[in-house]
Amino acid sequence: MNGWIGRCLRVNLTEGKHSIEKIDPGLMERFLGGRGLGVKIFSDEVDPQTDPLAPDNKLIFISGPLVGTGALTGASCNVITKSSLTGTLACAKMRGHFGAELKFAGFDMVIIEGRAEAPVILSIIDNKVKLVPALEYWGRTTVDTESLFKKNLGNQWISRETFLAAIGPAGERLLPLANIVNDRFLSVGCAGIGAVMGSKNLKALAVKGQHSLQVADGNRFVQVVNSLINKLNSSPLTSQSMSQWGTAFLVGLCYQKGMLPQNNFRGGTLSLKNIGTEALNSAFRLRSRACFACPVACIKKTDVKHPTFEGRGMVPTYLAIGSLGVNCGVSDLSIIGTANMLCAEMGLDPVATGGTLATAMELVEQKALTPEELKIDLRFGNGEAMLDAIRLMATKGGHGKRLGQGGKALADSFERPETFMGVKGLPLAPFDPRAIQGLGLHFATSNYGPNHLYGNTFIDELLNAHEILDPWDIKGKPQLVKDYQDTTAVMDSLGLCSWPLMGLKFKNYVPMVNSCLGTSHNTDDLFLMGERIWNLERMFNMKAGFSDADDCLPDRFINEPIEEGPGVGQVSRITEMLPEYYRLRGWSDTGEPLPETLRTLGLENS
Amino acid sequence: MARIKIDHDKCTGCRHCEIACSLNHVQNTANPRRARIRVMRDHNRYYPVIAGPFVDAACTSKVFVEIGDLQYDMCAVCRASCPEKPYFIEAETDIPLKCDFCGIPPSPSCVRWCNSGALELVDD
Repeated sequence: MNGWIGRCLRVNLTEGKHSIEKIDPGLMERFLGGRGLGVKIFSDEVDPQTDPLAPDNKLIFISGPLVGTGALTGASCNVITKSSLTGTLACAKMRGHFGAELKFAGFDMVIIEGRAEAPVILSIIDNKVKLVPALEYWGRTTVDTESLFKKNLGNQWISRETFLAAIGPAGERLLPLANIVNDRFLSVGCAGIGAVMGSKNLKALAVKGQHSLQVADGNRFVQVVNSLINKLNSSPLTSQSMSQWGTAFLVGLCYQKGMLPQNNFRGGTLSLKNIGTEALNSAFRLRSRACFACPVACIKKTDVKHPTFEGRGMVPTYLAIGSLGVNCGVSDLSIIGTANMLCAEMGLDPVATGGTLATAMELVEQKALTPEELKIDLRFGNGEAMLDAIRLMATKGGHGKRLGQGGKALADSFERPETFMGVKGLPLAPFDPRAIQGLGLHFATSNYGPNHLYGNTFIDELLNAHEILDPWDIKGKPQLVKDYQDTTAVMDSLGLCSWPLMGLKFKNYVPMVNSCLGTSHNTDDLFLMGERIWNLERMFNMKAGFSDADDCLPDRFINEPIEEGPGVGQVSRITEMLPEYYRLRGWSDTGEPLPETLRTLGLENS
Repeated sequence: MARIKIDHDKCTGCRHCEIACSLNHVQNTANPRRARIRVMRDHNRYYPVIAGPFVDAACTSKVFVEIGDLQYDMCAVCRASCPEKPYFIEAETDIPLKCDFCGIPPSPSCVRWCNSGALELVDD
């Protein structure tokens, strides 16, 4: 089978048994693989009303068909489950080398069911599937877990090629903010799944193998990948900005357009001088690191030089600088970098953690929560206190326990829900939706909560990579949002990263897909599959109890205009855009997919 | 004589070279374990290693090299495969692999796919 291995590993942790199944080729054709196939199987097997932390919930690790074949940026592995933070479907994008290694280990997909009695590590090494007792790893950070597991393998040649995805102390303590960390430092970027893994008593997944992947037309495939690499090199955004600073180059651009949130989205007076790319260059010695088969290499590593945290680590990305930095009033890059590393070690999601801290800081400012009560001087701009708070949150120590439940629960417990800046329980990714209307609409309607990676409209709205659009205007935005949401669904399903859309158009990928998989898709076919996947996810969420009432933004963005800066006076015009978006999607006025829409997509029976 | 120059400082560890090699040598097949170039990792640094000759006995000169404040295992950087180091041996057939510069004249596919500039074909 081209691209695919065609095998699925099903592990039942309650019984400690595993079985190997064949994947139905009909499903692969309709849902492509990766996110699409994972969501299909998940929604078929799991009741939408299930408690996320119950043994009935399942955890699916699935790599797309293009992963590991050498297809450009074909590296991502999706983790699908029901999120314990939002209660919606959760689909994390795992970067790095784990996804490819899962394919080389001989499986497209691993389904984890039940709950183990004692902590275990699932190890799939050279065709041997084992559940290793993991008591000695329990309580360790993600980095420690990986080092110790590799040491215990005993053979440096095997351990060098083994890749791990593990949870940290936060996931073990079932914190809703927890996520999974793979390849030592890479957070998978979706809060609420670490706790699900923790509830199953599964500490980590280790993969290694030597299976071969087949490509349909090798010669053509090599040519197409070559030409795509050249195309990426000719685009300044991917070949210069992303390669030099990673996503952190967005900080300056967002600042200039008034999209960078400060002090829990209320505005502030931080200077770009301390957080821009120049500051990044002087604070860290940047080294590029790439995910599997990626010529862009946007991950930046460095030595974190800070007295409270000595070690080697990651340069903060845009998400970290935005969420853990400026939105908490902190503009010291070494503190932001340390906080980002702490989150990775503890297994916390940086965006959700930053959003929760910002909510807590606003509550302190409103005197609802007192520093005496917290025993930390948590306020906007106090970086050291923020680091303490993260440590306490992850270990549920002291008064950090309350913070660890997430921003929404915290704001609700003080009856001040207006201090929580998020949708469906997940804090917003650091883009102010008042100054970027299309992304605001995506945040409100996204099936996975307000994460920009499931609909990268900022590629056109902010970076003007393919079209020049005014971020403050709403004309044509519902169509743009729909297009990007469908595109991302397709790319996730194939296993491709969506950042290179800055330099490539989606249609450029089609020859690569066809030469690799031996199919004859065209752009429209693939978009239809994206729409099918998006609607399937929507239907799962609706069955789980979400409705059009959840397609909204916090009141602050609709009622309070931006007070200062370049975006002054802007409010989110989400209410004007939403009906048009529903109409384009073929949904009713209340956001439900209409029967004829489902028929066109072939979803009438699901 | 043509050779492939490796700049360790530039390598990002994307392992695209491994796949390029495997696609070029084994028809329509992508598998890093069938490639004649592998990327090793030590202390967040990456070292592309190109398959050299196969030796049927392990050497006794295993050394550690110190560069700056870090210690590196020379065994990882060694180009030979030996009984101690099971790299560059095709898993299914046990045949040792060796880099052939992708034919005459040399046009290594790994160099063509390497975008970071870590691999370079030089003639000297």
